[in-house]
This record gives sequence, structure tokens and C-alpha cells, in this order.
Amino acid sequence: MNELFPLKQVMGFVLSLVLTAVALLVYFTDMSLLSGMTVLLLTAFIQAGLQIVVFMHAGETNDKKSIYTNIYYGILIALVTIFGTLLVMVWDM
Amino acid sequence: MKVDNSLPLEYSTEENSLKILGFWIFLGAEIMLFATLFAAYFTLENRLGNGPSGAEIFEITPVLVETLLLLTSSFVIGLGIHAMRLGNKKAMMIFFSITLLLGAGFLGFEIYEFIHYVHVGATLQTSAFTAILLTTLGTHGLHVTFGLFWGLFILIQIKKRGLTPETANKSFIFSLYWHFLDIIWIFIFSFIYLKGMM
Repeated sequence: MNELFPLKQVMGFVLSLVLTAVALLVYFTDMSLLSGMTVLLLTAFIQAGLQIVVFMHAGETNDKKSIYTNIYYGILIALVTIFGTLLVMVWDM
Repeated sequence: MKVDNSLPLEYSTEENSLKILGFWIFLGAEIMLFATLFAAYFTLENRLGNGPSGAEIFEITPVLVETLLLLTSSFVIGLGIHAMRLGNKKAMMIFFSITLLLGAGFLGFEIYEFIHYVHVGATLQTSAFTAILLTTLGTHGLHVTFGLFWGLFILIQIKKRGLTPETANKSFIFSLYWHFLDIIWIFIFSFIYLKGMM
């Protein structure tokens, strides 16, 4: 039975739950916008990385380089889209 | 068909490896799709018109339940892929079934949530905020709905054909899709709900 529950994945799951709980502090405690956003950015991106590395096996084959290049490119475009929009539409710069 | 037995079944032919890489590239495009939705959301989240704000309509309980359901389903499908690599078809099918059940539970709560929004007067036409909120959540929900059917068909194929390089490859690609939906949900949970209720 134990071989069906690899330690790495169980630990990954426990860590995701802990990170979710940490993110919830933003709701249950009285935080400033700045510290709240810092906590959320950290917990969200660590959790996303956890999924990609532990559960999606991104680094296991010879395609590792292509896969990571693709992910980083996707994230770069996502951040440029989001922060570019914020700069122009919300922060009025 | 050249089969390389040193690799897991889902990678064992060149075609299979290429399909997995191709799916990663598709996921890259999906990241960008959701980025545009988030960009629009952050632009419109304070354009309330006469409608309610996020803080007024969001409820922590269903959101938390949805998060835990999806997080657990993502873990369970990971166990399914692990069982598949051990060649344990029965365990794999059980894990995949649990994944789909958790996914269906998630969807049930999301439908409840949408009904709640309509009841408190936050429809697609109420304000720019409610429109982009429902569009973003709906796009994710639609992906989950599609995933439920996809996963169901894969389960049927595994039952019929067993674990072959082909069915293993399909299952692995489906698991990538499912984990990806969980990642998107983490961002929705953090930057739509928790930020909105902060």
C-alpha cells in the first residue's frame, strides 16, 4: 500500500495545504494591502512551482530545457500583459 | 514503433514524448489566455456601477471548500500517475475516479456560488466588475467541466484497452491539464477572492 503513496508527493500535498493556510492569514488577520499582496504573491507562486515540479514532472526527461523555456516564456508574457495593463489602465503612468 | 523500455510508458515512443512536449506548449498558451483575463479583472474590479463589490458578495466557506477539493484532486491524480508508472491499473483507475469525483464536487460548489451571485444581484450584466468576475471564473469552470468529460473518456479507454503506451500517454497529458487547472485556481483564490476580501 505504501508504494502507492510516494513521500515526495505526499510532502508536496502537505506543503500546498500549509501554503493555503498561510494565504488565508490575509483574510483572518488585519494586514495592510502591501504586506497582504506580498504574502499572496509568495504563496501563490511557490504553490504553482510545487505543482509544476512535484506533480507535473516537468524536469524528468530530455525535454526538460524546452519545457522550462516554454513555462518561463508563458509566465513572462503573462506578467508583461498583466503589469502592462495595470500601468496604463490603473496606475495611470 | 520503437519502444524505449528505460522510460515510463507514457514517454516510451518518440511520438509520445513529442505529444507531451506539445501539450506543455499548449499550456503555455493557456497561461497567456488566463493572463489576459486577470489583466481585464484587475482593470475592472473597481468599476462597480450600481452593483455590489467583491467584498460584499464573496463567501469564504464555499471558496475554501472549492480550493480544498481541487487541491486534493490534483494530489490524487498525481498518485494515479504514480500508480500507472508502477503498472497498477486498478489503483490508477481508482485514483482517477476519485479525482473526477472531487472535480465534480468542485463544480457543484461553483454552480452554487454562481446561483448565489445571481440571487444577490451580481449577474453578467450588472457591472463591469461582475461581468469580468463571472467571465474569469466561468472560463476556469468551463475548463474543469471539459476536463471531467475528457477524464471520463480516458477512464473508459483504460478499462477497455488496459495500460498501453497510447493510453498511458493520454492519461499523463490529462494529468498535466488537471494540475494546470489547479494552478489557475490558486491564482483565482489568491488574487480574486482573498484580495477582494482583504
